[in-house]
Amino acid sequence: MMGGVVYIPVQNSEEEVMVALDHLPRDATDMIDILKAEQAPLHLWLIIAREYFKQGKLDQFRQILEEGSSPEIDEYYADVKYERIAILNALAAYYTYLGKIETKQRDKEEHFISATQYYNRASRIDAHEPYTWIGKGQLYVAKGELQTASESFRIALVEDPNCVPALLGQACVDFNIAEREEHYKKAMDSYRSSLEFYKRALQINPNCPASVRLGIGFCRYKLGQFEKARQAFQRVLQLDPDNVEALVALGVMDLQTNEAHGIKKGMEKMHGAFEIHPYCPMVLNCLANHFFFTGQHFLVEQLTETALAVSSHGLMKAHSYYNLARSYHSKGDFEKALRYYMASVKETSKPQEFVLPYYGLGQVQLKLGDFKSSLLSFEKVLEVHPENCESLKAVGYIYSQLGEIDKAVETFRKATRIDPKDSVAFTELGELLISSDAGAALDAFKTARNLIKKGGQEVPIELMNNMGVLYFEKGEFELAEQTFKEALGDGIWLSFLTGSIDRSAYYSFQYKDFSLFHQLEEDGSCIELPSSKVTTLFNYARLLEQVNDTEKASNMYRLILFKYPDYVDAYLRLTAMAKARNNIQLSIELITDALKVDDKCPNALSMLGDLELKIDDWVKAKDTFRAAKDATDGKDSYATLALGNWNYFAAIRNEKRGPKLEATHLEKAKELYTKVLMQHPSNLYAANGAAIVLAEKGHFDVSKDIFTQVQEAASGSVFVQMPDVWVNLAHVYFAQGHFALAAKMYQNCLRKFYCNTDTHVLQYLARTHYEAEQWQECKKTLLRAIHLAPSNYTLRFDAGVAMQKFSASTLQKTKRTADEVRSTVTELKNAVCIFSQLSAASIYHSHGFDEKKLETHVEYCKHLLDAAKVHCEAAEREEQQNRQRLEVARQVSLAEEARRKAEEQRKFQLEKRKQEDELKQVMQQEEHFERIKEQWKHSSNTAGKRRERSQVEDEEGGDRRRRRGEKAQNDLIAAGLEDSDAEDDLGAHSTAINRKRRAWSESDEDDEPFGDRVNPAETDEETNGIKAKGQTQRKLCCQPSDTKWV
Amino acid sequence: MKLAGLKSVENAHDESIWAAAWVPATDSRPALLLTGSLDETVRMWRPDELTPVAPASKGHALGVVSVAAHPSGAVAASSSLDSFIRVFDIDSNASIATLEAPPSEVWSMQFDPKGTILAVAGGGSASVKLWDTSSWQLVCSLPVPRPEGARPDKTGSGKFVLSVAWSPDGKKLACGSMDGTIAVFDVARSKFLHHLDGHYMPVRSMVFSPVDPRVLFTACDDTHIHMYDAEGKSLVGAMSGHTSWVLSVDASLDGAAIATGSSDRTVKLWDLSMRTAVQTMTNHSDQVWSVAFRPPGGTGLRVGRLASVSDDKSISLYDYS
Repeated sequence: MMGGVVYIPVQNSEEEVMVALDHLPRDATDMIDILKAEQAPLHLWLIIAREYFKQGKLDQFRQILEEGSSPEIDEYYADVKYERIAILNALAAYYTYLGKIETKQRDKEEHFISATQYYNRASRIDAHEPYTWIGKGQLYVAKGELQTASESFRIALVEDPNCVPALLGQACVDFNIAEREEHYKKAMDSYRSSLEFYKRALQINPNCPASVRLGIGFCRYKLGQFEKARQAFQRVLQLDPDNVEALVALGVMDLQTNEAHGIKKGMEKMHGAFEIHPYCPMVLNCLANHFFFTGQHFLVEQLTETALAVSSHGLMKAHSYYNLARSYHSKGDFEKALRYYMASVKETSKPQEFVLPYYGLGQVQLKLGDFKSSLLSFEKVLEVHPENCESLKAVGYIYSQLGEIDKAVETFRKATRIDPKDSVAFTELGELLISSDAGAALDAFKTARNLIKKGGQEVPIELMNNMGVLYFEKGEFELAEQTFKEALGDGIWLSFLTGSIDRSAYYSFQYKDFSLFHQLEEDGSCIELPSSKVTTLFNYARLLEQVNDTEKASNMYRLILFKYPDYVDAYLRLTAMAKARNNIQLSIELITDALKVDDKCPNALSMLGDLELKIDDWVKAKDTFRAAKDATDGKDSYATLALGNWNYFAAIRNEKRGPKLEATHLEKAKELYTKVLMQHPSNLYAANGAAIVLAEKGHFDVSKDIFTQVQEAASGSVFVQMPDVWVNLAHVYFAQGHFALAAKMYQNCLRKFYCNTDTHVLQYLARTHYEAEQWQECKKTLLRAIHLAPSNYTLRFDAGVAMQKFSASTLQKTKRTADEVRSTVTELKNAVCIFSQLSAASIYHSHGFDEKKLETHVEYCKHLLDAAKVHCEAAEREEQQNRQRLEVARQVSLAEEARRKAEEQRKFQLEKRKQEDELKQVMQQEEHFERIKEQWKHSSNTAGKRRERSQVEDEEGGDRRRRRGEKAQNDLIAAGLEDSDAEDDLGAHSTAINRKRRAWSESDEDDEPFGDRVNPAETDEETNGIKAKGQTQRKLCCQPSDTKWV
Repeated sequence: MKLAGLKSVENAHDESIWAAAWVPATDSRPALLLTGSLDETVRMWRPDELTPVAPASKGHALGVVSVAAHPSGAVAASSSLDSFIRVFDIDSNASIATLEAPPSEVWSMQFDPKGTILAVAGGGSASVKLWDTSSWQLVCSLPVPRPEGARPDKTGSGKFVLSVAWSPDGKKLACGSMDGTIAVFDVARSKFLHHLDGHYMPVRSMVFSPVDPRVLFTACDDTHIHMYDAEGKSLVGAMSGHTSWVLSVDASLDGAAIATGSSDRTVKLWDLSMRTAVQTMTNHSDQVWSVAFRPPGGTGLRVGRLASVSDDKSISLYDYS
């Protein structure tokens, strides 16, 4: 019964009342009665009250102390200062404690007020009592007023510098100040000061409780002196093996080593702490954290729930909520995760205290599609950690989703600067830059690929695919091929590439034929094509197509269709390839298959319309284009363009050529082109179309400007090939009479786009030479065209006309050599030959030339030939005479020479005689020349036909002027040299002009309008290629294994 | 196998060169290269040096489109756009005959391997004309029928025969046309055998394999070279790689390779075992209208030679090994 007994001296006697502390009466009033009756010294009151407190009998404790501090007692024990102060202080401390544990704010304050009142009473008794100050200090600590607390402790220490509780209080306050201090250096100073106080306390009282060493441990930990901290905690545990705090502290330190061994040791300690005290939130959070990583979510939830129940500390709760949220997040329950992340965030006042939940919150919000909130969350993270790459990437991704590409690019650029080894950031950056800056995008992708390779990981196929496409677009086909090959890796496609499949056994040229694959499968080959590789395989095939390896390309497209029969783009490419080889029937079959997959596919419909145009099925084509347009709500510019073209053709081709109808169609075409331009101001084809309509209406300058702009814009991409705009520009030059420029433009176009093989453009060129009266060039151009397109009889007719025209114009010249006339004769013979052959060929072909017309041409040429023969004779005669004249002149000069020599020999002869001789010679010469003149006059008056011909030529001249006038409103139409209507040339009759007009307008009908050159197939290829790129995959990596298709 | 450029003659003609053929060697002289051009002349060149043998021979109008040499090496024929064929003696350049079969046009020509018949693609007449080489009389006209189920041709131009090729045994004759159809004839019986399908654009040049009389190579505007089994009438291979029309094809003597000339300005050498282009020559600056391997024979001329002619007026000679 050690200390278990208190003796209360009985008043006025030597006796004492023995009170067994173990058996204090349940009713405190009994005790108070005794104490009062015996006027027991106040320290006994305190002892008994403390005993009640120890036994958990708080009411009795309070009763005794309240009684012990009543005014009555005060009065009675007025001179007993210390004990009275002690009682008041005890009460104050009790209320401080109540206030500290009270959760209700009002009660809490009331308790603190009570505590303050008691301390104030204690101070009134003795203002210097250090314990009162210590108590006050503790009260302030409880109230969170650290500065005031510190002042109180300091006063206590002034009174008694070795007062251990004051030292401890001051240490505690300094520690807390340090915790709250944002400034690192100041915080460290405070920790150091706290450490000093703890040490002093320990020096003064080496036997003080273990928890003092705990303080030392915390301070050293905070100061980064981990080893010393560890020693301190271990000492605590030596003294008090059940000290949970020390255990936890050591556990945390072990866990922080991040090594398997350390973590194991740490967890053991945590378990130990949990055994001792199952309600320590710190332990619970640590355990929850651990079980989160081991994936035992059930335990996580239990532990955190307990932690939340027992903890009132904001940060601890934040941790608990965070653990819970994280658990749900990883389980994919984003709604709950969101709620708990929010709860966690709410527990802290600012992100600096605990930033992790903001990150999780951002992720979940992103996942749930709430980009704006997510952005805010990540920005909070960045406030605390401005260089956090994961958050930067997330922010960048959100910007890109919100369409703020510039900001997104900037953010990813920053992320790549901060961490130049982050392949994901480079990949994202590259994807963002694809449309704006292909070069930079490629660089970013390259960096990403190198980083991934260096890291020994497999490069994602999407990345390689995008790189390949970028190389492709830059025209670096070899690099593109390498990249695609690398991306695809091993597979059945390799055997198609290397040709290891025996082709003669499996060869199938039909683009529709899949027997090759069936046979391969039968023969035991395994045909596999993972869906992730389809896009890349398609792009690779597209590349092979671009470099003219069409057979391999076709095999790959078919491979795709064999495994993925719904892949319409592959059908479209096969169709385009068949169409390029003029296999229209197969093209139509293929496109029909594509439409079976999706009968609303606008691309397929457009292609079909195009094919229908090619087989001259105009009405169907229009319907098909309409369907394509409707399938996209008019958003697909290709279909709209095609309809525009349709209307343009209709305007030009209409057989009846009603001016009203033509205007309507042109207007409609213009409307459609304009519509496309409104939607896509940079659509080259629409601009081209609009310019054509303008040119048709005679606004050449405007259309020229537009064509020039389109031409500039079209250069520089491998996918955009617009020879049409060159041709159109040339047409405009032609229409304006700039023949040299027009010819140059046609020639450049031929060379640049057609390998000089396009006979239409050659025909335009010939027409230009014809108008420029460059007959030989015109003829040569036409002969080349005939050589390229032997079955085009129009070209032969044109060549005949050109030769005829050349001959006529040569004969018309006032001065010509015999050679010229001779070549005229040759050309006329050729012309006759050509016209006769054409006439004969009409047995086989209806080439559209009236036999009578041909005959008149033949006759006219023969007629010219007769004339030319006469001319030829005349010219030859003239030439003869010229030769004679030259001979005479030569003889004259020879004679002179001889004379001079003679003169030299006979220089002493008489002057007079010499003069006479000279005079005689001169007269002879004059006579001779007169004679020659006569002859010359005579010869220039020869055949009467001469006049007739010049008449014809005059008419021709007038006709040409008129034609130019017509051209201004009418045209740009090239083709027809046939319009030059030989009848006119032939006859000198008065009706010629009228007929001429008619013939001209007739010939317009078969003319090749240049609108025909707005070739939609190209656009189609282009869309295909680009779409393929759009289908690439994208990964947002800060999400826990989340893959996105964009 | 490879080609190595030996020599090029710039401005060999005044205008585009459209035709080339080797005249086989005779006892007295080596093989010669015969070229025809838009400048209306036919010229002959010594092998390897590529120097002119004689002044250009005239007598054609509107451009020479085809030249062919008799297997004896003594006689050659040239044809022009005016649809006349001039047959002449190689060594004396004297005209032997002038052939025409109006209204038939004249496109490519080839002597049969025995040298008794000259086959001429008859253009719009939709037939191949056969001329007897002793009398120079027209002996036969083989009409090309329309393939069954062919789409009616709205342009009304009908078949237009562009090219001819004799099988090495001289029994069969193939002809190619503007619309891509290829017809095979049994010459002895003057009988049409069958069509070969797969081309839908002009077939401007064809050659049989010198080692396998069944195999026919065709050059087409669709940028492809097809390889047919001319007897089994099946397509056994297709080779792509040219970026524009394939204008001309010839097979090497060993039958291991073919060479092609194209509008894309290149000459390609194809390895038939791999069926890929193993070499691309880019020395021409315009369309390559004709390629021709030199026939064997002559002294010390066992080495392979390939000649090509182009719109750029030049002739190129390559060593083939």
